[in-house]
Amino acid sequence: MELGRKIASALEAATFERVAAVGLANAERNRPRIIRSVLELAETPLGAGDVAIVVGAGPSLQRRRSLERLRVSGFAGTVVAADGALGACLRAGVMPHVVVSVDPHPERIVRWFGDPTLTAAPADDYFRRQEMDPVHRDDELAANRALLKLVDAYGPKIKVAAATSAAPAVVERCEQARMELYWWNPMYDDYDQPGSLSRRLWEMNGLPCLNGGGNVGTAAWVLTHAVLGKRRIGLVGMDFGYAPGTPYEKTQYYPELLQLLGGRFAEAYTQVPNPHVGETWFCDPAYLWFRDVFLATAREADCETFNCTEGGILFGDGIEFTPLEEFLTRAER
Amino acid sequence: MPEFLKGNYKVDATIEDKADAADSTDEFEKKALSRLGGSICFVSKKSLIWQGEAATRPASQGTPGNDDKAKTDGAGTKDSQRA
Repeated sequence: MELGRKIASALEAATFERVAAVGLANAERNRPRIIRSVLELAETPLGAGDVAIVVGAGPSLQRRRSLERLRVSGFAGTVVAADGALGACLRAGVMPHVVVSVDPHPERIVRWFGDPTLTAAPADDYFRRQEMDPVHRDDELAANRALLKLVDAYGPKIKVAAATSAAPAVVERCEQARMELYWWNPMYDDYDQPGSLSRRLWEMNGLPCLNGGGNVGTAAWVLTHAVLGKRRIGLVGMDFGYAPGTPYEKTQYYPELLQLLGGRFAEAYTQVPNPHVGETWFCDPAYLWFRDVFLATAREADCETFNCTEGGILFGDGIEFTPLEEFLTRAER
Repeated sequence: MPEFLKGNYKVDATIEDKADAADSTDEFEKKALSRLGGSICFVSKKSLIWQGEAATRPASQGTPGNDDKAKTDGAGTKDSQRA
């Protein structure tokens, strides 16, 4: 078994190690702020019909100008965005009906909403290195200021599907921007097993548990289908990989892979030829795991999923890979 | 430690920390792997949504008067498990 695949096979358990303790601690801290369940979103007017677009924060958003094309189309369905894609959406003139936030990281995630406390470029180079929103790479402070203004302006019209694991800084920022919060629990483990944390969490706050699929983009798709009941779902910016030519140093898990594997770090990346676009993308073990989970889930889900990303590594049984305009045309029928 | 994780009972057995555990290769790999994980868990072979014992229907079925949505049992019924 190749190294990337071997590491990916361990990530279901590793993710629990990474997020469970801090996610549960955040659930306790967020508890007094929980007013609405995410189930109320299903009864809230969003976009028209049973069709939706889920916006991930992959590099195809910029490469394919997916959001600009979506805006021009006048798409009337529901738009659900991962938090990392919120800035790109607003800059492109696309106001998502719902933004999904999950990650419990105490400092990073609030940046996707604009961090009011950011006064100097942080030592953490995550935003200078990440591939999700290149606007943050060149001038972090200017990008943050611009995002603060956009989220302040449009926040009151955007609903946030917040996991109870979300960092308190994110919750405070959303409240400050007058975004309505709708809450849910991440599913941490098998709720049928004795001593299940998921079950104990549900007993504590009564919120539904969503099986998140490892990342916020997949969680947004799960919510769109299982909570909002959408039956035809298009994906944009859902690459789960890095575009050809991306330096390893600019990939999300590079420092961790370097620390773990030293000079062999490159062996952890998997090359994935995408026959739909004629390009070879590559991914780290986490993205490989996200892809496997998404495909397995999509195959069993009672909805149609159309990948309109026009790049990346997410293709296979259960997903129709199609250009965005073709999906939008079919969505009108 | 978060209140949520604390036990509400005491055990008789004395649990000793092994001093060298943190330095072991296994421990290093476990910690390193945890840094490679995702931002939210995935639980194999469980439904996409679980609403507790009282609810056996997916959330989308809760929308009144929408028969189409009521058919989305693949999404959320407690018993709908993936292969």
